[in-house]
Amino acid sequence: MSLYDTVVIGAGLAGLTTACHLQNKGQRVMLIGHGVGALVLGSGCIDVLGYQPVESVEPVRAWPDKLSSFMADHPQHPYSLLGETKINEALHAFQGLTETEYQQNGSENWLVPSAVGAIHPTCLAPPSIAKGHLGDTASMLIVGFEELRDFYPALISQNISAQNLGIETESLTLNLPEPGASKLNITPIELATLFEQADFRQQLVSVIKARCQDYDRIGFPAVLGLGRHAKVVVDLEKQLGRPVFEVGTLPPSVPGRRLFEALKHTFVQAKGRMNIGTKVVAGEVKDGRVTQVQIETTNRLKPIIAENYVLATGGILGGGIQTDDQGRVWEPVFNLPIDHNSNRQTWFTPKFLSPVGQPVSSYGVVVNDRLNPIEDTRPIADNLYIVGSLLAHADWTQGRTGYGVALTTAKHVADLLG
Amino acid sequence: MTTSHDLDEITLSIWEQVQHSADLCVKCNICTSFCPVANVTDMFPGPKFVGPQAQRFRNPHEISVDDSLDYCSGCGVCSMVCPHGVKVMEMNAKARYKLYKTKKWIPLRNRILGRSELLGWLGSPFAPIANVTLKLKPLRILIEGIMGVHRDAPMPAFSWETFRGWYQTVHKKSPQRVISDKKVVFYHACSVNYYEAFIGKAAIAVLEHNGYEVIVPKDQVCCGLPMLSNAEFDAARQNARTNINSLVRYARAGHKIVGTSSSCTLSLKSDYRHILDMDDADARLVSQQTYDICEFLLELAQAGELKTDFQPINASIPYHSPCQLRAHNMGLPAIELMELIPGIQIKHIQADCCGIAGTYGYKKEKHDISMAVGKSLFEQVKATESDVAICDSETCRWQIEHATGTKMIHPVQLLAQAYGLT
Repeated sequence: MSLYDTVVIGAGLAGLTTACHLQNKGQRVMLIGHGVGALVLGSGCIDVLGYQPVESVEPVRAWPDKLSSFMADHPQHPYSLLGETKINEALHAFQGLTETEYQQNGSENWLVPSAVGAIHPTCLAPPSIAKGHLGDTASMLIVGFEELRDFYPALISQNISAQNLGIETESLTLNLPEPGASKLNITPIELATLFEQADFRQQLVSVIKARCQDYDRIGFPAVLGLGRHAKVVVDLEKQLGRPVFEVGTLPPSVPGRRLFEALKHTFVQAKGRMNIGTKVVAGEVKDGRVTQVQIETTNRLKPIIAENYVLATGGILGGGIQTDDQGRVWEPVFNLPIDHNSNRQTWFTPKFLSPVGQPVSSYGVVVNDRLNPIEDTRPIADNLYIVGSLLAHADWTQGRTGYGVALTTAKHVADLLG
Repeated sequence: MTTSHDLDEITLSIWEQVQHSADLCVKCNICTSFCPVANVTDMFPGPKFVGPQAQRFRNPHEISVDDSLDYCSGCGVCSMVCPHGVKVMEMNAKARYKLYKTKKWIPLRNRILGRSELLGWLGSPFAPIANVTLKLKPLRILIEGIMGVHRDAPMPAFSWETFRGWYQTVHKKSPQRVISDKKVVFYHACSVNYYEAFIGKAAIAVLEHNGYEVIVPKDQVCCGLPMLSNAEFDAARQNARTNINSLVRYARAGHKIVGTSSSCTLSLKSDYRHILDMDDADARLVSQQTYDICEFLLELAQAGELKTDFQPINASIPYHSPCQLRAHNMGLPAIELMELIPGIQIKHIQADCCGIAGTYGYKKEKHDISMAVGKSLFEQVKATESDVAICDSETCRWQIEHATGTKMIHPVQLLAQAYGLT
């Protein structure tokens, strides 16, 4: 008895989204993740195309207008493989997966302030982040806390001012009110749980209220609640009498965690099976089909059998691709071929944060238009699908296309299998 | 098959793996952001700080770096969520051993809490009296004052008849007992023997219903986890050795060893090897042959060998998957198994830990933390308005029952009911 129709390997955005789509279509899905995916480190926003040409410093506003030139520049990129219609379908389908209503700014990107007050162009954002849109000239007060290290309201506010966006900004750094006043140091998640307490919010409002009267909106670090986020925002806006928005913190990110929990909730509610903390160590391919994968439980290897297998293990950062000091590059579950240069000198450019990305980040599994891995042009296994950053020519830093690739490839696989 | 890593081919000892896994840490803080304890108390700075970060200062010849380590509950959520394979919880358990070794002193309270078997042995013969007496608030306040065991911590009721006593004197002589070539070994652990004999009986009924002869080795003892988590590694190792010697005979004969207590089977599977460094051939064999009972039954189902003559149970029942069960890294077999019962709706509660973490929540200074950790779980259970809820692990059941008033059962009790065996 096979218990599952599809096994999804990887619990990042690509894996979770694929699993949710398929489970919602009535499949029995098992999602296996070696730990929690990088989603909880991300901004919680969905970037589709932020820069084009990718080395440009000017963020893309109307991203659909720039898509064809991006595809022309990157003919092997997954966007070019699947096309604009699929991207739009994927965004639409994603919006149906979470309770939080991810918002699109018409056909333009939201331009939201980053943790250092730079412009972060993004396609879909939760309302709490979208309200910080820098295309809107409403003035803003950025509030932070001494105890929350690495979030500097003055830096954010000054950087926004320095960009001459026509937005009047000011900063306000407070000490935590009760019941957090005794803390010397607080993490974003701890602060998010404090924000869920009504007495904490009340104390905070009593300090801020008089000082925010000259500003149209108030930006807080992105810690406005976790499970009760929507209620926290509504309550703060009511008490302060103006819109409240969130500015990203350093990772781990609370909006990223909310997105992770929301997708997990959707999947588990639909009776999806989830095993987090377990590594898939091997896969068996016979006669052009995957017959099983093996997971490493605490005490033995265990086979997991399904009709279809989706590999969403990420790139080099996610562990989907391994390398060594001999210049070898491999995919550790199925030993799929990775398109790469074995001379390590060529893997990196001298600039760490190069806008064109690092050559090594483009390494990945080459696929056909069904996202099956191929060797030469022949599929290695026709019931194995690759989604997300593991794909070749999908450097997520290039043009900020990572999450767009995750959603689009997940949707494509869901369409093929569902 | 392309196997990048085979459990049998590990040449490095596991001890080294746990310690060396600190090098895999990229300081992403995912573990701290998910840590149930660090998010409710300032006493514990979080798994990253006391684990991989402090590890570099833990020179074997120097004193331990930080007392806050003792506030780690050992739930293991850190090791589960880590995307890089850092064995954070295991590292912390070993560091705690070192911490107490440096102190050269383990509180009497911890030594007593570590000996659940001795407590059961003492209490069980006096069950009717002991069960009433231990509910008396003044006595509990006295115990808290003298010993530091929190007055509100959930005390399980002793069984008047031990499970082993029932097995030897009643079951073994019963004409209905199944004798078969298909044999399975039952590791009952202290909780079934002294407190919840009915769970052991349900397990035997379900296994026998599926045609298995159930062997209950006489010389099995407490798994040692309560001692391990109270830094008494030497005493825990003695228990571990007794169990390995007892169970390896059956493992060599190819029999599988099943248990209903997810933390005790985790000790056999993993802790002996990964934390107590008992990584010899016998320990490995016992580890490989050990199964959580639902894991065992689900594999039967997958092989088409599980009886499915279930009577329908038309109910929606909340289920909590304990941290110590998830740490088996095998998925959640109980849910998949219980959903084979017609009519059943299993409501999977989304919570990482109930807070009790074995003996942690019994300690005076940690009880409030343990209740804060379990808060969301308790609220979710209460919100279902179900009069019964399910959980695989005994201390978690006691904690949830104590906090919510909901009657708690083990998955195998539900199966026994569906089979019409109760």
